[in-house]
Amino acid sequence: MFKLLKNLIKEPMFVIGTFLFLVTIVAGLFGTHLYTPSPDGMSYEAPGSAYWLGTDNLGQDYVALLLRGLQNSLYVGFTAGIIATTIGTLVGLFAGFKGGIVDDILNMFTNLFIVIPSFVVLVLVSASWPEGRSLTLIAVLIGVTTWPWTARSVRAQATSLRGRDHIALARINGASNLQIIFKHILPYLASYVFMVFIMQVASGILSESAISMIGLGPIGEGSTSLGVILNTAKNNSAITYGYWWGVFPAAIVITVIVFALYLLNNSMEGVFNPRLRK
Amino acid sequence: MAHILEVKDLSLHYLTRFGQKINAVTDVSFTMKQGEILGIAGESGCGKSTLVNGLMGLFISPLYPTSGDVLVNGESLMNRNPDDIRRNVLSQKVSMIPQGAFNALNPTRKIKDIAADVMAAHSENQKLNKQQIYERLRERFDLFGMETEHILNSFPIQLTAGERQRSVIGISTLLNPKVVIADEPTSALDVTTQKVVIKMIFDLLEKNIFSTMIFITHELPLLRHVAHNIAIMYAGEFVEYGTSVQVVHDPRHPYTKALMGAMLSADADQKNRKPTTIEGAPPSLSKKIEGCRFAERCPSARPECRQKTQSMRMVEGRLVRCDYAE
Amino acid sequence: MLKKYPTVRYVLLRAIWYFLTFLVALSLNFFLPRLGSDPVDIMMAQSSFSSPEIRKQTEENLRKDFGLIILDKEGNILRDEGGNAIKASKFSQLVTYVGQVFKGDLGTSFKNQKPVSEIIMQALPWTIALQFPAILFGWIFGNSLGALAAYKRGVFDKALFPLALLMSSVPFFVFGMVLVYFFGIVWEIFPAVGAYSLELTPGFSLDFLFSVAYHYVLPFLSIFLILAGGQAIGMRSMGIYELGTDYIKYAKWLGLKETRVLAYLFRNAMLPQLTGLALSIGQMVGGALITEMIFSYPGLGMAMLTAIQTNDYPVIQGVTLLITTSVLLANFTVDILIALLDPRVKQSLAMDVK
Repeated sequence: MFKLLKNLIKEPMFVIGTFLFLVTIVAGLFGTHLYTPSPDGMSYEAPGSAYWLGTDNLGQDYVALLLRGLQNSLYVGFTAGIIATTIGTLVGLFAGFKGGIVDDILNMFTNLFIVIPSFVVLVLVSASWPEGRSLTLIAVLIGVTTWPWTARSVRAQATSLRGRDHIALARINGASNLQIIFKHILPYLASYVFMVFIMQVASGILSESAISMIGLGPIGEGSTSLGVILNTAKNNSAITYGYWWGVFPAAIVITVIVFALYLLNNSMEGVFNPRLRK
Repeated sequence: MAHILEVKDLSLHYLTRFGQKINAVTDVSFTMKQGEILGIAGESGCGKSTLVNGLMGLFISPLYPTSGDVLVNGESLMNRNPDDIRRNVLSQKVSMIPQGAFNALNPTRKIKDIAADVMAAHSENQKLNKQQIYERLRERFDLFGMETEHILNSFPIQLTAGERQRSVIGISTLLNPKVVIADEPTSALDVTTQKVVIKMIFDLLEKNIFSTMIFITHELPLLRHVAHNIAIMYAGEFVEYGTSVQVVHDPRHPYTKALMGAMLSADADQKNRKPTTIEGAPPSLSKKIEGCRFAERCPSARPECRQKTQSMRMVEGRLVRCDYAE
Repeated sequence: MLKKYPTVRYVLLRAIWYFLTFLVALSLNFFLPRLGSDPVDIMMAQSSFSSPEIRKQTEENLRKDFGLIILDKEGNILRDEGGNAIKASKFSQLVTYVGQVFKGDLGTSFKNQKPVSEIIMQALPWTIALQFPAILFGWIFGNSLGALAAYKRGVFDKALFPLALLMSSVPFFVFGMVLVYFFGIVWEIFPAVGAYSLELTPGFSLDFLFSVAYHYVLPFLSIFLILAGGQAIGMRSMGIYELGTDYIKYAKWLGLKETRVLAYLFRNAMLPQLTGLALSIGQMVGGALITEMIFSYPGLGMAMLTAIQTNDYPVIQGVTLLITTSVLLANFTVDILIALLDPRVKQSLAMDVK
């Protein structure tokens, strides 16, 4: 384990990814507390000394909006990621470990919800929730529609582990199914599950921005997300009028978070899967 | 020309991603005459498979030649560009029969198409059309006494293990190579199939499809029946080289002796001999090794062994890398 | 059943499975919008009416359209003693809905009283013309690059890999916005919005086709390039994995031409990538629809956006149903393709029957 960490630190992708990720996390957690927004000004004031990144259609300071948006997008991403990874890992573990009819049924469910696009489910539910469509609701929705991805890959891993000798040995020694799953299978999959979690967070952030972009994002005081910022800019034709600051900073922030997560995932894949190394 | 294959002080190394150098093969020398069969044996990780790549002149990163030379028919394989090696050496001069034929065959390609690819890759001067290629394939596979049509028209997964291994042998020897290297061609096969495969190899030798072969295995008893000469490899070096009778029945290097002991031999001469294991592990090849490489595990090691690097010396008609062997 | 034709049997079984999945999707499409507030209430809350009678009349018509109340055989509303319409049970509502869908009736738009199917049929050709080539060519291009990067490694890989990774982390629509800003607004090289110049009447005139092609460039690129990035990443790691396999080593040992070895690599690494495409096509289509909105492209994305902004539920449901259906069809197609392309799958099908 220690050696793996040492190899990871030698990986430029991992270092850059960690750095970018930490920067976004710190900005997301503390940004809104540390930054005092400038008082509202005119609609779409250009970036300058008064407003570093200009103002939006209501004259609000974009820096403050972005910090709040980042915080909320991260909240949605992580909540959705935790929900999806937990459900997906449990389903995948039990299916892969149990095999037989349990596997067949769980696998059928997983495949069913993989082929039904989660985007569609998000649109349908969000559209019928005009009031009280909170960040949490959207995060939960994303979580409960994207778990099949985790389940699918965890199941594949668990199935391959099931046949290993140490599992058979534990079974002979009278370990219960639960004991085997949590003591002998999950630890082997820990790094794998973590990588899946990273991808789920990234996909949660992307899904939130997509659903907000079509006007079905979170509603309510202080629930501005990066997707909502982009949607507002689009609704006010910011691009057409050349108000680039309405779009680019938010677009860059989304890209940077997702890129950081992808970098982490890929560098870890390279280290945990020696074939990709060389 | 006296020798078909000449290997002179060949050393090969790997470069790891972090710049570490692993000396996988050190100072290997031997020669082979037309019609000779040489067996190479040793534990896994002793450098056998690396040596094979060197003997083909095939250096794919991270494997690099350190020093020495390999000559086939007097022509060096070193310092040539990879495309030259691909065109003029592989499949024609030196060819390889890999172990584990199932994984060696492209799972999404029929046997006849894999074989046709080999012919197409080496017939750039005389353009053959598909029909001609298949015709020649049929002729060749008919020689092997196999169900030619069935095998040629199947995907690897549709064949039995024996059929696959024989297809691989057929493909590897398609262009009548000067030297064939067989890397554990019978491992992972059941005993009956092993016999069929061995028989096929000897049929090919008899029909003069090829005549010179290096046979790599860790099954020494098999080598004794098959090979004229045997080389024993340990930690990247040859430690003993002699005729098969000498090496199998009268080994002189302590490692060879230990190896013989470790084999469960069904041989009558070695009755009642219990298999023993060799304690310890070979030295790490990423550092410079002082003294004899086998010293740490050698039952008859002396203090001097750890300081003095051993070199091959003649002991009663064979070469042994041990100053104290008698 | 059909023991002699394992492939046919497999196709049939898959078809049945996808049909059942379609029924589940259909039920979700029906129930999900009814999870939150009553859509009719939402629509009613947005409109003002001159008299309570008209209000009641409109509401009843809406409920009728949604299958929320029971009708007699002539299509008249059944009423209780108080004159109020009798509400249908959820189950009978579902049955009505499924029946209508199978007849091709997706309801009537609340906004402009047009049949939903008509709105969809107008938008669909644009979406297919944009998304099908963009996804297909993006897949081919990305996978070729990824395989090449895996095979060549070195400088090519070091340059391509981070770029492709960066591209794959940009959402389609964000990239669309960037393209619009620079190419459409700042440099004015390509038109920023629409699918053709509005001065032209749609038809098969040369001017019109040229205008369509001209407008096609930016939306196509924003889907094509991002998708290619993601595919290249996937193919690269599949390719590196396959490179370590014995059959590639053997091909090199045999001295096969480099292009041939690359073809081996591509052919085998492509199969899991094809499955990956099928599984993620839902997300891709979703993202691509949003891209249409950025360009005001007159496809399904715009139709859905307009419907969302006006709470036009029948249209939203119609569009989502169509997306689900096409994703299911795409998956079905890929399942069959894989069975035909991968001899190992074919063989296992034959073994299953025995």
